[in-house]
Amino acid sequence: MITVSHVTKRYGKVTANNDISFTVGDGRIAVLLGPNGAGKSTIIKCITGLLRFQGEIAIDHFGNKTLDAKRRLGYVPEMPALYDLLTVSEHLEFIARAYELPDWEAGAQKLLERFELADKADKLGKELSKGMQQKVSICCALLPKPRAIIFDEPMVGLDPHAIKELKEVFQELRADGCSVLISTHMLDSVEDFWDTAHIMMNGSFAATKQNGEDGDSLEKLFFDITEGKAVEA
Amino acid sequence: MSSLRYLFFTQLKNQVKELLHRPSQLVSAILVVALLGFMLLGGSAPVNAEELLPPSYLSAMVLAFYALMFFMVAHNGLASGASFYTMADVSLLFSSPISNRRVLLYGLVRQMGTSVLLGFFLIFQYSWLHNLFGLSIGGLLVILLGYALIIFCAQLTSMALYSLSAGDDGRKALAKKIYWGCVALSVLAVAAPLLLSEGSWLERLIDAANSPLTLLIPAGGWAANAVGGFVGQNLPTAAGGLILLLLFIAALLLLIIKTDADFYEDVLQATEASHSAITAKKEGKMQDVLPKNIKVGKTGLGRGKGADAFYYKHKLENRRAKIFLFDGMSLIMGGCLLLMSLFIREAGAAILFALATYFQFFTMMTGRWVKELTLPYVYMAPQPAFRKLLAICREQVRTIAAEAVVLMVLVGLIVGAEPWVIAAMVVARIGYGLLYIAGNILAERVLGGMVNKILLFTLYFLILLVVAAPGIILGIVAGIFTGTAAGLLVTFLWNLLAAAVIGFACKDILNCAELNNK
Repeated sequence: MITVSHVTKRYGKVTANNDISFTVGDGRIAVLLGPNGAGKSTIIKCITGLLRFQGEIAIDHFGNKTLDAKRRLGYVPEMPALYDLLTVSEHLEFIARAYELPDWEAGAQKLLERFELADKADKLGKELSKGMQQKVSICCALLPKPRAIIFDEPMVGLDPHAIKELKEVFQELRADGCSVLISTHMLDSVEDFWDTAHIMMNGSFAATKQNGEDGDSLEKLFFDITEGKAVEA
Repeated sequence: MSSLRYLFFTQLKNQVKELLHRPSQLVSAILVVALLGFMLLGGSAPVNAEELLPPSYLSAMVLAFYALMFFMVAHNGLASGASFYTMADVSLLFSSPISNRRVLLYGLVRQMGTSVLLGFFLIFQYSWLHNLFGLSIGGLLVILLGYALIIFCAQLTSMALYSLSAGDDGRKALAKKIYWGCVALSVLAVAAPLLLSEGSWLERLIDAANSPLTLLIPAGGWAANAVGGFVGQNLPTAAGGLILLLLFIAALLLLIIKTDADFYEDVLQATEASHSAITAKKEGKMQDVLPKNIKVGKTGLGRGKGADAFYYKHKLENRRAKIFLFDGMSLIMGGCLLLMSLFIREAGAAILFALATYFQFFTMMTGRWVKELTLPYVYMAPQPAFRKLLAICREQVRTIAAEAVVLMVLVGLIVGAEPWVIAAMVVARIGYGLLYIAGNILAERVLGGMVNKILLFTLYFLILLVVAAPGIILGIVAGIFTGTAAGLLVTFLWNLLAAAVIGFACKDILNCAELNNK
């Protein structure tokens, strides 16, 4: 479970996130929507422990900067961040060693095959296209079998096969009881399986909706709220 | 106002405005200027003319430096070329109805400014240059100007070589022959008088590097003669070198314009390459300086659990980057130090150690751990922050120790130091290495978010100076009363203590990446 309580993040005089609270329960998929600059990536970086903030964030009731929380949390950043001089398979070996994972090899192989990376296992990070790098980044996040996982724009640069696989992964993670938080602009891509949608504007939540609450599509919901708010503003 | 002039001055104006809108940067800029003033004035203490090295030594060093820089930068022209432009220029300027010659001029003017900025680090060399050679501030500025001209000229040569040879294997082979022919001619210009004269090899080398034959060394030789002439007030030599250099620049410009009026395509690849490197940096992804062809070799980390995995990953990355204990910068600095030791061996172990420590500073900013801070893994790995910090620094500590043994033993032998003094030099150098790592961590902690690299570098220098000062003072006092070895050991103890305190104070640095949220 991901619990965010009254989180405020300021960069100097600019407030990027203002008193944000929400929860992603076990076996739930929450999507984070909002126009550019709404503060989505900032709250994600706060949750992953990459930024300082005011407020409290917990992963499975452990403070997000504790080792217990780090063990339980996976993160796929917006820009894939790979080591130039490590091969694809070495990235997974490195994660397995850093997270001290037992018997990880079979799981790693399965992920490589699933994302069509098995034949690229010995390619260096610097030799991969952006889409390939994104796939490796996803595999690295999935390998430790996290209890909570955050995807920041995970579909960007992926080929149709990888998008299809990733959508299946989202649903499998939910079925396994994992808390999944996805930030995306590609509303269609999460339309079929989202449970909760948080729509952000100007650093705050403009609305939170449960799937099926009023029967609207995610797209309609998004435009109703963001354009409505824009008009009000 | 023409569009190019508007673009140039608006960008300049906005840079200044940006500085004024960020008080922290403004304060830092003032500090940098103050530090430079301090270095220039503080380093200008009167020197005993009888103890100075002959100006011919300085000319030889300037020649070697200029020639090396010229050939290294120009070599890019054989591969990817060089570019004065940004991707914004490519998309907005290249497609606009402005004559490409004017666009070229715009690029050249801007590049000249960048070249002067690149020579910024030379100002920090003033103190020892003044003390060894009696160099004045004016002389330093002439060397700086010469350096800017050499970098500018090398970029232009690189662009010309690429324009001349791109897309044609025959021409490419010809460009390679011209390049290596010039390198061979340069070596010959120094080697011939060296081999044909008599006396000690050092004197012969210095004489050879000051002979008129150095005018055969393209760009580097001309600039060195121009600078040497100005500093030594030998105007005919200065004018000769300068005229040759300016003629060369004019010829290159003519070559670029006449042989290939459409140079846009030629600079596109280099612009894209530099753009992707800059973008990667902005996105927090620091790029390695990698060999062109990387041999993957044996795969797998093989060892290391938990935080140790970072250390074994670094070892693997070093193997692929072909870094075996010493990286390129360390090798260059080490080579310079050994050369200086040969020149000024009479100065003694303590002075050369001080010089070595100064050079060491410039090799310590590039450890693999600094790159690690720009990626999320080190923050996300479920290991204690302090253990991770130690693990990511371990590779550099190993390098420091190996480098200290190799360099200090060689320097000690050259100056004829006693064995225990050499041992103390090794230990003290390790101490300074640890202090530099700690200073680096502290600088990341305090200044991590700063984008301006020159300011960051200067403030880092300042922080280290403040932290190291007590150790230096104690070391000098101990050295005066009990000998060089004891003095060096005192600095080691201080540096060890300071590094431990800083390391412990920053032990939580990896709990949060905000310091690198550039």
